[in-house]
Amino acid sequence: MDLLSDKKFLAMALLFVLFILGIAFFPSGAGMLLILSLILFGSLSLLWKERNIKLAGLAFLVLLALANIGLNGLKYGIDFNGGTRIPVLLERPATSDEMTELVSAVKTRVSVLGLTEAKVRAIGDSQINVEVPSSDENTIKFIEDTLGHQGVYQGIISGHVAVSGEDIYSTSIAPLGTQELARSGADWGVSFQVNRHGAEQFAAVGKGKADYPVYMFLDRPADASLFISRSELRQNMPNDATEKESLKALSDALELDSDRNITVYIIEDLNGSVPAPKTNKTKALVFGNASESFKSSLNSSGYVLKEFSSFAVTPSYNRTRAGVLVVSELESIGLMSAPLLSAGLATGTPNYGFSVTGSSPGTGASKYAQATAAERRIESILKGGSLPVQISLGSRTTLPATLGQEFLRLSLIGVAGSLLAISLLIGLRYRHLKATLPIVAISISELIILLSILGSFTIDLAAMAGIIAAIGVGVDAQIVITDELLKKNDEETEERIGHAFDIIKTNVIVATLSMIPLLFSGLVEIIGFAISTILGALLGYLLSRPAYASMVGMILGKEEADKEGAKKDG
Amino acid sequence: MEIPNIFKGDYRRLAILPLILILLSLYFIFVIQIKLGVDFQGGTLVTLALSEAVDSATLKADLAQEGLDADVRVYQTTSGYKAEIDVPQSQSLVEADSLKSDFNKLLPGVSTLEVAALQNGSRMSEYLVKRAELENISDQMFALANVSREDFNISGVIEEQKAFSSSYKKVYDDYQVFVSSPIQKHVKYDSISIQTVSPLLSTHFISQAIGVVALSAILSTAFVFLFFRTAVPSAAVLTGALSDVVIALGAMGAFGIPLTLPSFAALLMLIGFSLDTDILLTMRLLKRKGDNREKAFDAMKTGLTMSVMAMVAFGALFLLALLTHIPTYYEISAVALAGLVGDMFATWGIDAVMLLWYVERREGNGSAQ
Repeated sequence: MDLLSDKKFLAMALLFVLFILGIAFFPSGAGMLLILSLILFGSLSLLWKERNIKLAGLAFLVLLALANIGLNGLKYGIDFNGGTRIPVLLERPATSDEMTELVSAVKTRVSVLGLTEAKVRAIGDSQINVEVPSSDENTIKFIEDTLGHQGVYQGIISGHVAVSGEDIYSTSIAPLGTQELARSGADWGVSFQVNRHGAEQFAAVGKGKADYPVYMFLDRPADASLFISRSELRQNMPNDATEKESLKALSDALELDSDRNITVYIIEDLNGSVPAPKTNKTKALVFGNASESFKSSLNSSGYVLKEFSSFAVTPSYNRTRAGVLVVSELESIGLMSAPLLSAGLATGTPNYGFSVTGSSPGTGASKYAQATAAERRIESILKGGSLPVQISLGSRTTLPATLGQEFLRLSLIGVAGSLLAISLLIGLRYRHLKATLPIVAISISELIILLSILGSFTIDLAAMAGIIAAIGVGVDAQIVITDELLKKNDEETEERIGHAFDIIKTNVIVATLSMIPLLFSGLVEIIGFAISTILGALLGYLLSRPAYASMVGMILGKEEADKEGAKKDG
Repeated sequence: MEIPNIFKGDYRRLAILPLILILLSLYFIFVIQIKLGVDFQGGTLVTLALSEAVDSATLKADLAQEGLDADVRVYQTTSGYKAEIDVPQSQSLVEADSLKSDFNKLLPGVSTLEVAALQNGSRMSEYLVKRAELENISDQMFALANVSREDFNISGVIEEQKAFSSSYKKVYDDYQVFVSSPIQKHVKYDSISIQTVSPLLSTHFISQAIGVVALSAILSTAFVFLFFRTAVPSAAVLTGALSDVVIALGAMGAFGIPLTLPSFAALLMLIGFSLDTDILLTMRLLKRKGDNREKAFDAMKTGLTMSVMAMVAFGALFLLALLTHIPTYYEISAVALAGLVGDMFATWGIDAVMLLWYVERREGNGSAQ
């Protein structure tokens, strides 16, 4: 095989291997990789004129598409797989920035449940659809609870609630302006206002507590105990701190009046005997990697076990101006931040406006980015959760899996049927086997590539309709070329092919231009259709180039083809 | 198969049939009118999977008796029966949405005023006026939700907002119950899907769709003019495409195909497809040597082959839609098929006639044989 000594072929083969590896190791990026490979192989076959190379490019593309289907499978929407769709309604229309944030926040909430297959997408500017491939009542109920959950904010100063979320005017929570920041000397800041109850409570609790930390909690558990191992405690401890000091800081942070204290236990000090829980609902917050025997002894003592990652049970520390060690963050108990109380707020007179400020490390753009991130974080904590806009849940739709599978089966029959019918008609129209075969072969290749690309995202009803349509529209390019080639006049083959490609190129541009606004419209229900129509047109154009190389040979005879194929572009 | 060249002789008569079709379409578009689907009109579409057949007229009457005025359609599919119940947009939802938007507009200002009033009693009169305005809006919402102000413990704006939000949610929940409970009472179903498109959402869909159509039309028109750089051929191509869309819209009116997001997508695709055949014809006519009418006829053969292939694909989709009663399939395929038929008439009856007339006049042999 002289192909093996051809540098161009080897380059293509190398690309092919790289793409295969990419598809195998980054399944989540497979769709984008396939589109990239399509553009790359398409441009290479534009650039390199040899027939063999063009055909090799096409073959590589089809192999890549097949490999993707084989390795990663095709993803179907809940219309075909069965599952549940839960509409999440927004309190008010969201800006596009807020929407991006909301979608990713909702995704995080759902993925906490281990439902990586869940699909979250924005419908317009006031709704988000969550689709999960499950119709199990318990799972769905759990998801609905998680989604609909509205967090509770509490600001606690030395064991007393100073400010709670229900006293804060939600519309008043806003980042500080540049002027205010300059005045306070901070890098970032968030201001908010409270009502009379909030103002009076804060004044009473904060009196004389200047430089004390205000522990900002989100969903602080009311009835829980924290079990931490000595090594976890020591891990993030500042170098100059003692174990005793950090343990004191930790229990300070967990202190809350009446009986809402969270007690900290060092696992090693318990010597296997677990203290009795306060109630039968007391949660035991514990690092997930703790020994199984310890966890089961917690269980048998009557705790409700809640396991966390190492990060969530390891506190972060800070020091007050007076040098007292303070726990500033501990996720497992919902401690999000611990800014220090300024002297002006500790006088005991009611205040209605507050601000949380801070400094961020670094310089220039990274400093700015960090400051913005910190600002956002505080904003969302004060608003009681990670969502910039309040949400409520609409009524869910459950699609039975059996019905979906029936739809899928019929749809695939439809795909095959339409391919078959078109092949037959092409055969009848040209009555020229050698002209018909390449057309059919190209249609099949197109179908494989299209299915593979769309299947790495999600094939929903609209995308399936688009795929079936693309079989009919994608064949157009081949018809234009074949009609030109079979025409009986004295034009050179080169000229004819040029004519055909002029027409095809223009058609692809028009088809793309008329559909492209749909891609950016956010009308997600029909984006699948737009993508498959555009890809179908594009594939017809890109793939018919290599196909033409073989068609010239078959239709016009070997001799002429060798002559033609070697010297011109498609 | 040999078809005689239809462009021999007085080709102008070819325009008669398309023109009749366009007039008919205009009648269906403007007099009979196209039905708006749930996406654009808002409202609720309930889809039920049934194991046994129900009579749509009886069910409609039963639901009407419960106060639910809805359209009922029942289909037989490959997997049992399927009922679609179309409930028009509820007036209280429209009102609730508009109240909500008014409330949200007023809220930040009133909050600021309230804090100022609490802090030092300043701007008190302004606060009281605005607060009363806000209360007036929430009272209307309470009325919609069948609750009263006394049900809540409202002292400040924060509680006002909470009460307002929960009443708004109650309006929505009540509506869901209003729709689903009569259905539950009268039909035994295997599965139910309730798709509610809120007034807010349908307005959003409409504005997005208009934006998409406008952009798509501008892009395509600009490209055609840039590409041909002459007025008459460009105008002919665009007339062909426009006629095609008009015929497709006419068919939607005539056959009762609703305008939904899927049928909208199909219409958009038709712009591209009909421009395809128009451009094929124009390029063959203007940029090649040879007898004009032969060239036009050759182009028609290629163009018809293209159209037939597309029809086969959409025909398969249409068959699939008849079997499964998946609305997305039906709406896309029916509109596309109508448009493809329309495209044949529009391209070869209108665009071709305009172009031939233009080329022959330009060449100075405008005689019709």
